[in-house]
Amino acid sequence: MKTRGILYRERYIKLLSVITILFICILIILRIQNILISFIFASVIYYLLGPIVNAIERTGISRKLGVISLFLFIAVVLSLGLYLLFPVITNQISAFKNELPKFIDGVTKLASATEQKLNAFSYNLYHIDSSRSVAAVLSTFARRAFEDLPDLISSSMAVLVLAPFFAFFMLLDGQAVTKKILALVPNNYFEFALNLQHQMNVQLGDFIRARLLEAGIVGAVVWLGLTIIVFPYAVLLGVFAALTNLIPYIGPIIGAVPALLIALVNGLSGLELLILVAIYVIAQLIDNFLIIPLVVAKIVNLHPVTVVIVIIIGAQLAGILGMIISIPVACIIKLTAFEIYNHLVEFHA
Amino acid sequence: MGSHLWENYFKPTTKEKEINAILKENILFQDLTQKQLKFVANIVHLRKYRKDEAIFRQGEVGVGMYIIVQGAVDINVEENQAQEGHHRQYVVMTKLGPGDFFGELSLVEEGGRRSATASATDNTTLIGFFKPDLLEILERNPAAGVKITLRLGEVLGRRLRETNDRVSVLEDEIKKFRSEGDS
Repeated sequence: MKTRGILYRERYIKLLSVITILFICILIILRIQNILISFIFASVIYYLLGPIVNAIERTGISRKLGVISLFLFIAVVLSLGLYLLFPVITNQISAFKNELPKFIDGVTKLASATEQKLNAFSYNLYHIDSSRSVAAVLSTFARRAFEDLPDLISSSMAVLVLAPFFAFFMLLDGQAVTKKILALVPNNYFEFALNLQHQMNVQLGDFIRARLLEAGIVGAVVWLGLTIIVFPYAVLLGVFAALTNLIPYIGPIIGAVPALLIALVNGLSGLELLILVAIYVIAQLIDNFLIIPLVVAKIVNLHPVTVVIVIIIGAQLAGILGMIISIPVACIIKLTAFEIYNHLVEFHA
Repeated sequence: MGSHLWENYFKPTTKEKEINAILKENILFQDLTQKQLKFVANIVHLRKYRKDEAIFRQGEVGVGMYIIVQGAVDINVEENQAQEGHHRQYVVMTKLGPGDFFGELSLVEEGGRRSATASATDNTTLIGFFKPDLLEILERNPAAGVKITLRLGEVLGRRLRETNDRVSVLEDEIKKFRSEGDS
């Protein structure tokens, strides 16, 4: 009886230690500025580079050397890429900045024309007058976007430094740290905790890689299509389409809006507009009929209604970031609930 | 009796070399080179159990196998006839000691449940080797992973043959009893 008492005491202390460690880690990630976003980016880098590091390790090179050489290689490639692409991107940004008044004017005229048509249609019963406020909002937004850009870049520097730093050590010592935390888990929960951690790791890794593959393919198709039809700002619009594609459901629509506005302001003909729309539709068709069924659907086993609810909750709690991370978080919650049920309820029943 | 709580972290009793030596003696890891053994030793888990503490219970989802470093383990099977209101009755199937291993079927089964309960009959130290560990070895060091998997296949095959032999013996005995009953 005495031994059993000590055993139960040890189990409670160990369980409490693990929960406290995890709670403190989550609290630090959520509360300290830049840590959450750095941690999310670090996780993305970790899951993206993990298979490459493993492949290097398979050749017989030590993990340490593999991680260091991979980071050095990426640093060189990124520097080279930035060196080559920087002039193109800065040119496109400065050209866009110069043409922005024209676009604002065009959008305002477009809004005004639509407004007149709507007023004529409703026989001025409900007088719509929004074109002036649209112009004011657009010019304020455009001015602030360019004024805030240097501040945004400087505040992102912490994340740009912290994310690769975290990812480096996650790749190098991640498994050892996980093993040390698992060592604290009481014996009666050990296999459950190990299995849960493994399944979470696999599911998160597959999800992040699949979403990035999706975003990359959508961005590439948009960029290629726009380059073929000689549409302005093809690189910027491709990158924008790729990034917004990470937001489920409404992301692809947001991604197409700038190109459509540019086309309308530039007064593109019906056929040209149709080709432009076709480029975005083709990108989405490839995504929805090839990548999602073949890759993503196997990973995310959530009902579409659940997905929509989860995205709304994510948006309410953390805006765009919440929308992006809502699905993987929901998957983890579902997996944990299922495993707990399997371990505690089904087994004892 | 000293507390096991912090022993693992501040005063390790089983060193890496000892783990290597125990792994090397085990059939699953006997083909590995010294470098591969060191790699595996960094992946496996050292667990300590008190006397009478359950290692796993019959019906739980099994994730992997255990090798006994020191101490003793009983493998028990719950009797089907356990009546309501009575304590569960267990039948001891086998007693295991240092160097023995158990639960290896869980390394290949998907969501398989434990067919017996394993409990420590003394203060026991075990090396835990689980499915995620095997997958990690196959991913990071396929040469070592293949050696382990081949040996695992051999062990499971041997267990199957032993089970078949025992089933045959039992069938013969049933036939014998039936023929005696008829006559």
